[in-house]
Amino acid sequence: MTTQTPDVLIRLEGLTKQYPGQQRPAVDHLDLEILEGEIVVLVGPSGCGKTTTMKMINRIIEPTSGHIYLRGEDVTTTDGDELRRRIGYVIQQIGLFPHMTIGENIATVPKLLGWDKARTDARVDELLRLVNMPPEVYRNRYPKQLSGGQQQRVGVARALGGDPAVLLMDEPFGAIDPITRDRLQNEFLRLQAEVRKTIVFVTHDIDEAIKMGDRIAILTDGAKVAQYDTPERILTAPANDFVAEFIGRGASLKRLNLNHVSDIELRSWPTVRADTDPATALDRLRQADESALLVLDEAGRPRRWVGAEDLRRADGRRLDDVGLPASAVVEPRATLSDALNELITARYAVTLVVDDEGVFQGVVDIEQINEAIRSMRVSAVREARAGLEDG
Amino acid sequence: MSFVEFLRNRGDDWVELGIQHAAVVAISVVLASVLGVALGVATYRRERPRELVLAASGAILTIPSFALFILLLGPLGLGWKPVIVALTGYGLMPVIRNTVTGLRAVDPAVIESARGMGMNRRQQLLHIELPLAWPVIITGIRVTTLVLLGIAAIGAIVNGPGYGEFIFTGLARVGTPVAVNLVLAGALGVMVLAVLFDLLFYAAGRLTTSKGIR
Repeated sequence: MTTQTPDVLIRLEGLTKQYPGQQRPAVDHLDLEILEGEIVVLVGPSGCGKTTTMKMINRIIEPTSGHIYLRGEDVTTTDGDELRRRIGYVIQQIGLFPHMTIGENIATVPKLLGWDKARTDARVDELLRLVNMPPEVYRNRYPKQLSGGQQQRVGVARALGGDPAVLLMDEPFGAIDPITRDRLQNEFLRLQAEVRKTIVFVTHDIDEAIKMGDRIAILTDGAKVAQYDTPERILTAPANDFVAEFIGRGASLKRLNLNHVSDIELRSWPTVRADTDPATALDRLRQADESALLVLDEAGRPRRWVGAEDLRRADGRRLDDVGLPASAVVEPRATLSDALNELITARYAVTLVVDDEGVFQGVVDIEQINEAIRSMRVSAVREARAGLEDG
Repeated sequence: MSFVEFLRNRGDDWVELGIQHAAVVAISVVLASVLGVALGVATYRRERPRELVLAASGAILTIPSFALFILLLGPLGLGWKPVIVALTGYGLMPVIRNTVTGLRAVDPAVIESARGMGMNRRQQLLHIELPLAWPVIITGIRVTTLVLLGIAAIGAIVNGPGYGEFIFTGLARVGTPVAVNLVLAGALGVMVLAVLFDLLFYAAGRLTTSKGIR
């Protein structure tokens, strides 16, 4: 990370959208600066103008007045199609082209930009790998052959086709089931750590905003900015009643969304390989402080939980055939909130943490989450007092 | 003379008239398709023009074919010309209707993302909307073809090409033994052509429709 202050990539100046026949503008003189490489989340109640705002950035909706600057260049009246080729666009309904293969979908913008075939093909494969879809498997499939989650991954890959500096995302994970959504969010954050795009992300879900945003703009009617700040600041120091109410109850629980499993030290847990003989495993368990052992497969991925009783009854079976399945697994990009969620229902009150390949890294338990909450509270108090002394 | 014998005797004529019949229908279908798709594309997004074009093309279909052929006799004379013009007119409605329906059925999210990728209007239409509407459009063309195969037979009253000649000759000789054979041969010819065209459309539809939307 550099200490150099990032440049303003997108600047909105007095941006206004007045629909004919409506009394008040949908977006009313909005000023907003978006820094390069950040995820800015526009969040607010429905009808607040957040989607209209986002769609004015690539001029899918033409502003009534005001200006849009992209890297200092006024793009308010330039060629709209040309502008849109420089800005990635992901929508909730995904909108893949059903008559084209996945590869052709992703090649859309490169083709519009006139790239040659070799460069386009290489880009398609690169992007498919980036979203964890092996090109050999998926390149020639059609959208209808993919699940909703896979389709949205392709949607993201397609938006990155022309290597745009900016990505606009309109509730991209809104129509996807909660479990897949969570995984896609984590994957997306990992992807963003790699590609470092400037992203404008629209959602109505404050939890998603806290999880995804480097900065959040909470909007009220007419896209008036109620607060534009980091998630930490919004949760610890809401600017006004509207923001406080919008965050809703449980702000401290929501703060768990700000910390990731990778930010805290994992606890170890006694493990055995699946091919270990039950008697040896029983010995291991006796020496350990815990009530069960975690069985790992050859690659080191969690398979089963086995307790003393399971081991005594193992009766010649392999360890991955006894005990209970190892559920409650998260990746390091998961938030502490995800981890807490998992561990509440987990058999041994811990959440397993694995790396990208699924290899076991350690566990998170309630003590560590408690500790994290405590330290967040301390820093929040310190911040609040700092303001006091300034005044 | 039995019908089979009749066919054996007049086989060459039967094939020749069949080729003419197919040709006049094919030319008219191509014209009606080009014109119909163009009119559909030009009007599908705006309600007034769309309704106007659909109403007008529907109105053409209500003109009795007999009357239309005779009306065209004055300006266009005898032979192929009045037949092609009349058939093209009759063929418009199914093509326009299906073009409009097909284009309007394209998922708005697909069009929005095409636009969001930076496709201009022409590219959206050529690369996204028309290919997606194509299965519906080709169904319209298929219906048009079947309708025109039937109507083309009437074209013989203005000396048009095709099986109408058999049928009208039969009509002129009603009461003689050959009359029934002539009319049967004409009707059978039209039916055979209908089956052949339908097979052609089935194959063309499969070959020109993306696997992703079959």
